Amino acid sequence: MSSFIHSLQSEFIKTKRSSSFWLSVIGALFIPVIFFLMYTFKADVFSKDMADMPWQKHFMRGWQSLSSFLLPMFAILTCSLVVQIEYKNNGWKQVFASPQPLGNIFFSKYLSIHGMIIFCIILFNVFMVICAVAVSLINSKYHFLHKPFNIVAIMKLSVKTYISILAIMAIQYWLSLRFKNFIAPIGIGLGLLITSLILLQWEHIDWVPYAYPILTFMKASPKNGQVLLPHELHSIIIFVVVTIAAFLDMKYRKERG
Amino acid sequence: MSAIIKTENLDFAFQPGVKTLDQVSLSVPEGAIYGFLGPNGAGKTTTLRLLLGLLRNQHGTIELFGQDFSRNRIMILKKLGSLIEQPSLYGHLTARENLEIYRVIHQCAKSRIDEVLQIVGLENTGRKKARQFSLGMKQRLSIAVALVHEPELLLLDEPTNGLDPNGIIEVRELIKKLNREQHTTILVSSHILSEVEKMATHVGIIHHGKLLFQGTMAELQLMKKSNANLEIETSDNAKALALLQQAFAVQEVEGRILLPLNNREESAQANRILVQNGIDVYALHPQHSNLEQLFLDITSENK
Repeated sequence: MSSFIHSLQSEFIKTKRSSSFWLSVIGALFIPVIFFLMYTFKADVFSKDMADMPWQKHFMRGWQSLSSFLLPMFAILTCSLVVQIEYKNNGWKQVFASPQPLGNIFFSKYLSIHGMIIFCIILFNVFMVICAVAVSLINSKYHFLHKPFNIVAIMKLSVKTYISILAIMAIQYWLSLRFKNFIAPIGIGLGLLITSLILLQWEHIDWVPYAYPILTFMKASPKNGQVLLPHELHSIIIFVVVTIAAFLDMKYRKERG
Repeated sequence: MSAIIKTENLDFAFQPGVKTLDQVSLSVPEGAIYGFLGPNGAGKTTTLRLLLGLLRNQHGTIELFGQDFSRNRIMILKKLGSLIEQPSLYGHLTARENLEIYRVIHQCAKSRIDEVLQIVGLENTGRKKARQFSLGMKQRLSIAVALVHEPELLLLDEPTNGLDPNGIIEVRELIKKLNREQHTTILVSSHILSEVEKMATHVGIIHHGKLLFQGTMAELQLMKKSNANLEIETSDNAKALALLQQAFAVQEVEGRILLPLNNREESAQANRILVQNGIDVYALHPQHSNLEQLFLDITSENK
């Protein structure tokens, strides 16, 4: 176990100042900044729109963009960028020639990607709150500061969204490990994401992994809050199966690094 | 001396039927600087990648530190440092950060970073990112990465590639110093003969995937000597040949007299015989077949 922590530490050093780290910050900042500008320059429209339940409307608007496109896209890019750190720098051979069990190599990188996704989701929520508070301080038409904020609902949605994106991450991580060229996994991922958005009305959409985050958003309601929805369960199953397959694929590959 | 690296009958093919390695049986003794010599594409890197487990072994056995590689991968890799082909450095990180990655994995003392930076002469690069380094600096930092855990065995694949003459000398001196002071066994591959000649204690020559020669530097010198000749030009070659045949295993090759050369006194003796018998000697050429020539001889024999 301690050797796994050392492997994980080494992965964190690698992501320092890397594009994948900045992507999670910028990805989380993107929507709150746009909203801040929208709320500031179209104060009449939005203050009226959000007169009652401002927090809920603010967060739902944000999460809609995040779940449908930004977060899946962020997951696709992060998987590629983190793995690309090795490909780009000829790092694989040194990694595989270091005394780390293959499991450490595979899962420490995987875990650091998951860490970034979780970091991005948390950061997004924090920036959304900062955006609302800042707008209220600047413009008295907004009443965020005087209205209740349902933090539990936001946390539930965050956790369920993370579960719903597990399948995409497993598939993208495998693709990123397989392809030396980083355009391939990103292209495939983007293609599948767009396809799944087109298929959203299909009765078997529960089996299209790239649609899971937006399904979680669309089906979010107080009564659905507790349990795992079918597509979320599928997401976990696909995550486990694909992760094992990806690991075995790396373990039994003829040529490493 | 026990062998630190021992392979038996290694075969490897990237494509079925095209053998990249053919029955390679390496034996690198403890404490040696083993020069692994061969032209580009001979199979040097493939052999080294097999030793590190970067390629799946297809046939034959690999033993490092007396242990089977596939069953003791982690234990073996703990005692081994490597530099294979181009540097494996993270361009967005500083020299220190690059070393920190492997220091953490090997769990060695923090002070090792300063030590290895000093060994390779990169202690003053500060916040400069590895991608801004010159090729020589990158190569030296890669060696530092290989050294961070004080390995007992170093595998260096063409470590002087792309270095300027000064850099080449520095790396060579570093290799000798590590061997002398830390007793590190070093396997260093190269396609440049004079390079290997200047530092190796043992040599393996590989060509077309086959190990053509393996032995100590002294054994190689002996082979070199047995290939040395004295070429003699005289006013009467036929008569000279007849005279010299009484004392030496002389032979005529394409109208030239060739005499196997063991020491300098023999050339004087041969000259005396000819002069005393009234033959004019125009020239005595010692033909030292140097390692370069030997290398060409060996490798061309196999074509």
